[in-house]
Amino acid sequence: MVRQPQAWAPTLFFPLLLAAVYAAQFSKAVNLPEFPYPDVTFLDFILPACVIQGVLFGSTNSATDLAGDIENSFMDRLLSSPVSRSSILIARLSSAFIYGLVQATILIIIFFAFGAELSGGASSALALVFLTSFLSMGVGSFLIAIALRTGSQEVVNSLFPIIFVFIFISSAFFPVELMDGWYGQIAEWNPLTWIIDWTRVITIEGFSWDAFLRASGVIFLISLAGIVTSIHQLKRRLAVAS
Amino acid sequence: MSNPIEAENLTRTFGDLVAVNSINLTVEEGEVFGFLGPNGAGKSTAVRMLTTLLKPTGGSATVAGFDVASEASMVRKKIGVALQDAAIDPLMTGNELLRLQAVLHGISRHGGKERCAELLERVGLTAAGDKRVGTYSGGMRRRLDLALSLVHQPKVLFLDEPTTGLDPTSRVALWEEVRTLNKEIGTTVFLTTQYLEEADQLAQRIAIIDNGRIVREGTPTKLKSDVGAPTLRVDVVESDYEIAKQVMRKLGEERPARKGRIAIGLDGGTRAITAVLKSLEEQNIEVQHVELDEPSLDDVFADATGRRLEGGADT
Repeated sequence: MVRQPQAWAPTLFFPLLLAAVYAAQFSKAVNLPEFPYPDVTFLDFILPACVIQGVLFGSTNSATDLAGDIENSFMDRLLSSPVSRSSILIARLSSAFIYGLVQATILIIIFFAFGAELSGGASSALALVFLTSFLSMGVGSFLIAIALRTGSQEVVNSLFPIIFVFIFISSAFFPVELMDGWYGQIAEWNPLTWIIDWTRVITIEGFSWDAFLRASGVIFLISLAGIVTSIHQLKRRLAVAS
Repeated sequence: MSNPIEAENLTRTFGDLVAVNSINLTVEEGEVFGFLGPNGAGKSTAVRMLTTLLKPTGGSATVAGFDVASEASMVRKKIGVALQDAAIDPLMTGNELLRLQAVLHGISRHGGKERCAELLERVGLTAAGDKRVGTYSGGMRRRLDLALSLVHQPKVLFLDEPTTGLDPTSRVALWEEVRTLNKEIGTTVFLTTQYLEEADQLAQRIAIIDNGRIVREGTPTKLKSDVGAPTLRVDVVESDYEIAKQVMRKLGEERPARKGRIAIGLDGGTRAITAVLKSLEEQNIEVQHVELDEPSLDDVFADATGRRLEGGADT
């Protein structure tokens, strides 16, 4: 991270910039009659969404690095050594989790500095960090599968806008209750909406095992699907090797 | 005990393309074996099969006594590999990369530290060991790549085109390193190259591969002597080219040569030059340049394939 700040700095800067813009533009949205949390500031409302957005942007890094390893033959160096094949995948998934953990921590500290509050205190903060890191690994595992399939950094990077769209068609920056028509329907069925809403319960109402387990469950299912896909792609790539 | 490398009818196809076509190889203990061929001949595919990076689609091969297909993990413990593209992270230092390689081979932290220092010294990179690889020259990167492949003291070392893209000085320095390694430690080296001089300088035995098949195999001296007589090459003015070719064909077996040049095998040795020049003069052919070469590996390649490996065209 120290040697390559250009890889992670934008994934911190971009969500903060968006948070600043939204907080300024929509600060009065909390006064709308159907707004689900009328007693909090808009900054508190978007805090979990911004952290999730940041780690999701960062989740591409691990897969991009893996695709780079395939492109520049570093993968061949690993494969011609006696190192276990599964460790290649475990290392990348761990990297996505740790990366998400560091990023989430930094983002929460910055939000605190600008006056955001977590009603559940340390337990809410820890839950937020864990859930977002877990999500970073889950989404990262899909991107890792794509890196293994294509071996192309360009393809992995081109998926960035899809993540962007998933975030925007969710309850990240506006409650679903205030959305209308097809947009609201898609947002309602977007798994990110469920994760963000349950995480928001933890950050705004205080830590709740029920919300924590529900959010963890959805992330677990996403991670499971991603990891199974990654294992399949790794096996497929290794099938050509002895 | 079996030889370090043995291949029997080793084959690899990609769809309809036969990249390596039923090759047989035996590399003996402590030998530098040169695998020579042009781009796309099948060298790297063969190396990838022998280093377990690619499954053979036919035949079999053993490296360090283990089957490359069914005992791949044992093969990996015994081999060192420096592939064509030196896969080196430019953000890491030479020292860090060597330590990482030591970890990949299960060498203890203490043992790894000592081994890394020893290898950096061996390849002349002690002073640059703590600098990022991104600042290294091409020659330094290749030397580091060589050191990386030696971390676990492999029995067999695979060097896939180790000097491609290097300047002449760096190339000679790397040759010296490989020679020392083979002489002092006795490491068996399997070297692929498209450079004739490199094969001639380093390899004790050579196999020439073309279109996936081994077309010649033996010591460089034997291969060259098998080609036979020295080659006389003559340049004439363009208008005399065809008639000069007819004259010279009568005096010796025609050999492949670059465009505009005529080459024949000179059975009578150097004394026969006079007869050739006299015959050309009798036909009023203006000779621009004459040279006589003992057979080279390029002649061996040309004899086997009908093409020149270095800067030549089909004959």
